[in-house]
Order: sequence, then C-alpha cells, then structure tokens
Amino acid sequence: MSHKPKKVFVEGPISPQFISDSIAKHQSKTEIGAHSIFLGQIRADKKEGGVVKGIEYSAYPEMAEGIFHQIREATFEKYELTCMHIYHSLGLVPTGEVSLFVFVSSPHRRATFEALEYIVEEIKAKVPIFGKELIGESGEFSWKENK
Amino acid sequence: MIAEAVGKSTENWMSVDPLTVGELRSQLLEKYPILRDRKFQIAVNQQIVDESLAVPSQAEVALLPPFAGG
Repeated sequence: MSHKPKKVFVEGPISPQFISDSIAKHQSKTEIGAHSIFLGQIRADKKEGGVVKGIEYSAYPEMAEGIFHQIREATFEKYELTCMHIYHSLGLVPTGEVSLFVFVSSPHRRATFEALEYIVEEIKAKVPIFGKELIGESGEFSWKENK
Repeated sequence: MIAEAVGKSTENWMSVDPLTVGELRSQLLEKYPILRDRKFQIAVNQQIVDESLAVPSQAEVALLPPFAGG
C-alpha cells in the first residue's frame, strides 16, 4: 500500500485546538475502535546559563519530508492502522508548548500502542530536525541532541 | 550549527578523482578544522550512506548535526 506524502511541518507550536479538531475529524470513521496520541512538549531544562525558554527548530526539509514518508509507509506495513497523522513544529516553540503530535488509529488498541512508540522513536533517530535551546534572557543557546 | 561554524551554508566541492564519503569527510576537516570537534553525519542525495561508498557526480551532499526532533 502506498500513501501520498503528507505535510508534516507546521510553523510554531501545535495548539490544543488543532489537536482537538484532529480528534473530532475521526468521529465519522466508525471502523476505528482506538486512538493513541503522543505529544512532545518543550521542557524547562536547567542549564549552566539559566533555564530553557524554548526551542528554535530547523530542518533539512526535503530530506525530512522523505524520511517522514518512509516512516509512515513502514508503520502501515508493520501495524494494522486505519490512519496516522504526524505534525512537527518548525521555528520557535516556547517551553510548555507542543512541538510533536503523533496520532494513530486502529480498530483495536494494541496496534496503536505499539505503532505510536515505533513512530516516535524513528522520528527521534532518523529525521534531520535540529533544535536550538534558547537559555535565559541573555540570548545564550545550546544545540539539543536526541539520546 | 555547521553553517555557523564555517560561515557559509552551501559550497560547490570539486574533485578530479572519485571520492568516497569518508574521503570527502577528511577533505572537509582539512579545509575546516573547526569541524573536527563537531559531530556530524553526511547525507548524499538526502540519504545517510555508508562512508565507504563513492559520492556520485553532481551529488547533493549535506552535513547533518545531531538530530533533535520530538
């Protein structure tokens, strides 16, 4: 099964309104019995120069879109999903706001739990997205690195 | 991150002889010693490839700092 590449990147934080609208859009898909959602939120880590105020995201967009598409295809191949949505922020996302929204749906719960973890780990490891952690008020920053 | 370190975001890289990705990395470190203490992967035509493979001519090569998505 091949799916069309979908737009993943959104400018700035992903709003709670956007997330709830996405959930509402699935009420007509009555073959679905379970949804799982992952939200990545910006943490106020303490660094030497102060507290993280936000992350400025950038990407190698053409490659990133391609890798997101590969992850989608591989996930549909591995798990019994009805649908899958991935959104990631670019630009500034302040502390406490959401920068990653992954939403999977299936007739049954187990596929959604497993697919969700797989997708998030794949994104963290393989997608060329870069994050500048903005620290304190002084304009100081450090580059984030996924572990 | 790397663009800030070397002061430019793109560059045309000429080579008379065919290069592997690893050889290209060595040449980059020689021209830009500041990259020696930076971690980066090399993507060729938007794929991370093994450094023993040859760089095709006209390839789009990207130096990618550690990923931070999520």
